[in-house]
Amino acid sequence: MASKSSLLKVILLGDGGVGKSSLMNRYVTNKFDTHLFHTIGVEFLNKDLEVDGHMVTMQIWDTAGQERFRSLRTPFYRGSDCCLLTFSVDDSQSFLNLANWKKEFIYYADVKEPESFPFVVLGNKLDVTERQVSLEEARQWCRDNGGHPYFETSAKDATNVAAAFEEAVRRVLAAEDRAEHLIPTDTVNLHRKPRSSASCC
Amino acid sequence: MKMASFGRISQALYRSTLTQTRRQLSAAVHGEEHQAARTWKILTFVVALPGVAVCMLNTYLKMQHHSHENPEFIPYSHLRIRSKRFPWASQTGSRGESTLIFDHYGDKEGDGKVRSEGGRTGLPLRDESVFSNLMAEAATPDPRWCSYFFLYDGSKVKEEGDPTRAGICYFYPKETPLDQQELLCGQLAGVCRCVSELSCSPVRLLRMHRRKFAICTRGDFLWALGCAVDIPDISIHGFLEQLIGLFCFYNGPVRESYQLCSKEELATQWGKYLSHLQGGATELHHIFSSLRTIDSTHIDPLLLLKAALILQACQRCPLVLAGCILYCGRVVSTQMPPDLTAKVLVQETEELKGLADGVTNSNPPSSSQTAIAVFLTPSELLALRCPPVDWACRSHCLPLQVNHIKKSRLLSRTLSDTPAPEPQLPSLDTACRTPDSRQTAPCSTPSSVSDQMHFSPSPSLSAFGDASSSPDHSGSCDRILANGTLQLGLLNASEGQEQDEEIFGTPLSAPHRMGENGEDCRSQGGGCEDDSSKQQGGCGEDGQAANREPGSEPQGARHTSDEEQLEQKGGREEEDSGGKREQIDRNAEHRGRARRAYSEEPGKNERIQGGKTPTCTSTLGVQQPPLVAMALYQHRVRGLVLALLVEPKFQSDAAAKEEVHHSSLASLNGLEAHLRSTRAVTPGPPGGYTFAHYDCLQNTLTTNLSGGAGGPLERSFVRATSLLHSHFSQAVTLQEAIVRNAGSAVYGTRSTAQETYFLQQGATARNSGVPNPQDSAFSLPSKARHRLLKHGVNLL
Repeated sequence: MASKSSLLKVILLGDGGVGKSSLMNRYVTNKFDTHLFHTIGVEFLNKDLEVDGHMVTMQIWDTAGQERFRSLRTPFYRGSDCCLLTFSVDDSQSFLNLANWKKEFIYYADVKEPESFPFVVLGNKLDVTERQVSLEEARQWCRDNGGHPYFETSAKDATNVAAAFEEAVRRVLAAEDRAEHLIPTDTVNLHRKPRSSASCC
Repeated sequence: MKMASFGRISQALYRSTLTQTRRQLSAAVHGEEHQAARTWKILTFVVALPGVAVCMLNTYLKMQHHSHENPEFIPYSHLRIRSKRFPWASQTGSRGESTLIFDHYGDKEGDGKVRSEGGRTGLPLRDESVFSNLMAEAATPDPRWCSYFFLYDGSKVKEEGDPTRAGICYFYPKETPLDQQELLCGQLAGVCRCVSELSCSPVRLLRMHRRKFAICTRGDFLWALGCAVDIPDISIHGFLEQLIGLFCFYNGPVRESYQLCSKEELATQWGKYLSHLQGGATELHHIFSSLRTIDSTHIDPLLLLKAALILQACQRCPLVLAGCILYCGRVVSTQMPPDLTAKVLVQETEELKGLADGVTNSNPPSSSQTAIAVFLTPSELLALRCPPVDWACRSHCLPLQVNHIKKSRLLSRTLSDTPAPEPQLPSLDTACRTPDSRQTAPCSTPSSVSDQMHFSPSPSLSAFGDASSSPDHSGSCDRILANGTLQLGLLNASEGQEQDEEIFGTPLSAPHRMGENGEDCRSQGGGCEDDSSKQQGGCGEDGQAANREPGSEPQGARHTSDEEQLEQKGGREEEDSGGKREQIDRNAEHRGRARRAYSEEPGKNERIQGGKTPTCTSTLGVQQPPLVAMALYQHRVRGLVLALLVEPKFQSDAAAKEEVHHSSLASLNGLEAHLRSTRAVTPGPPGGYTFAHYDCLQNTLTTNLSGGAGGPLERSFVRATSLLHSHFSQAVTLQEAIVRNAGSAVYGTRSTAQETYFLQQGATARNSGVPNPQDSAFSLPSKARHRLLKHGVNLL
């Protein structure tokens, strides 16, 4: 079990400028760079962590939010274990776009069961004083769209960042556990050693 | 019918001898069968065996008359494809690259793949022969490009009794018997010395019947690179200079590195650089000595932007000078000048090879960082340290400048080692070789930036100079700079000497010319007194010596002047350098900043390499450009490498390292993922034409020619391109040309910034033999313009 889920691919999606790269950098390197240029295409970093006794390597993929980079980022959605939908609490448009991001992800990542796929919603830039999206609005949206967990974070102050990523890992592990229980036993075990493959000819 | 008659004859012949046997046989078998058996027996003895004997004799005789050599091995990419190893890899020790009937010693089968990689490159098989898919295209070196290469140290062979072999530092191919090595080195070195003493100019090319040798001399060292005759001069010079540049970049100055390391170690280095330069690219790349860049038509331009941004982010660390990003042996993005990028590329390629080797044994780490020491010339360093000034300067230069650079590269790549940052007016180079500068040359001002600095008119003396004073780099650097300036001043005053320079190289007319020019330049000297007054004043005696020198016996005069110079050098030294510094400041107001930075540069070097006595014997040609130690930091993410040239103290600065690492890691990961996913794209079908576009400034080549050996049309395109390129490099004014044979015509055009070659495939060649407007070749230029627009090549 532990060896199987050792690498988790977590992808950050959201409008341009909501702070996806900053979140990733804050979490992995614990640094905040105010001069970050917008991301082109995708970037990723690995982070080892232990959640509930499981050692996992989280591979955090940071994507470009701008529309013009869509063709560059979409090929990398596939194979994700968890999706972090990010918006900025001082930008209501980025909040409204969350639904589009979810749709885009489900379409390109080819998710079989969108209802049970683990999403986590992050409201970033908590440090900014004038909010446009209230806590209640955001929670409401999460409840309506499948009960996703919601975190308000700040990459600048390092508020809640680690908690959000750890929650993502928990969700993935939980989803896998559920999947293992649900799947009937009469499936083909792909990990079993193939018998005597050399004797075919 | 025939058989029967044969049978009857043989029957008659053998009756007497075989009677006994026949009786026994006939007793045993019935008549018919006996008859048939006897017939065949006789046939065997009388017809078959003599027939075999005759055939053997025939073969033997023929064999005597034919040569036993295998035809030259050409590693066609469609033959000997080894997608996986043979199962007997471990037993034979050949790593499964050769077939079972492959003869390891004689190679009778001609399975030359192994031989061409292992043998020709002079490296042991094990290091070389394993390539992953990444390097598959880099596997076939072209044997025509380097058949011989050697480095010969003249200082080791002075006395009559010294064996030539003592002077051979490196010889390629290394299987060559020592006698032959000695023969070749001795002869070539002798010829070079003789010709250079006669002509008072360094030897650059020796043309022989089957081969030609590009020669490079620096001080006592002599490099020679032998190649096939049909390779353009300019390309082979580029090759040699790249090779030397590579060595100096990674190992530092040649003399020092041979003192520090053993010959064997350095031989491995030379072998590495040789195999790197030989392999890895198409022949077109070799012809232009161009960088291998990533195929930009198949990747998103945004990724190139991403790469450039990564480099910019790294440069925020003040210790980082410049960087480049390489992917699988190709350049993605670079901030360095092209020649420097080419040097960095070697290390990357070597690592990649090592990685490919490692893949078979163990999993290499997907991400690793290394830092090695490298050596830069001051001009390279300057270009890196204050790029805005420099590049702005370059890009606004006169149109002739590019040609000029090309030309100077043809002459001597060492020009790039000397003050390149000053915008090179077309007159500079001519100035460098005018005799007037020669007049000032003995007074510690070697006129020629490119040539004379490394050229020793009389090797014997240069050896003397070498022994008496160790080469001082900072000193020479100053001088060069001063000279460049001086030359400019002189030349601006009069352009009249440009023609003289042409003739000066030829030995016969040299003395005459020198005489004339000696007078010329005396008036010159008066004319630009304020420029060079210090020099003139500082070395009056030398002026005399120089005036004597252009006399009828250049040799003798030269010797005396050189000796005088040696005696006087200590005293004159300091005034000279001081004067020059001032002069620089006065002279170079229009490009003040770059210059001053440069004049400060040697000072730093002085500090670095302190303790060496300055010398002013530039004409004695010991000096190599001072090299500054820097570090090359590499961060590898699978196939992608971020290479940064950093200050040496970067290596000990953990904070800076961490900063660079953090700012680049995520983006590098992403870029690698992007490149890996786009790499699968197969190139589209060729569009009925072949083109090659060479960007002189960035030193890159764009072509739709497939990498491997193509069809006859592609072969002829490559040949035509090399021919045209060689013409373009020789004739500065030539702009457009068409070269044709019966079946095809190749159109070539060049401007200061680019060269473009175009071949229309499948066009009906209507060649009337005389100039004719109906001739299809004349429509080539317009076709080329239209077709190449979509490749981003604008010829309009």
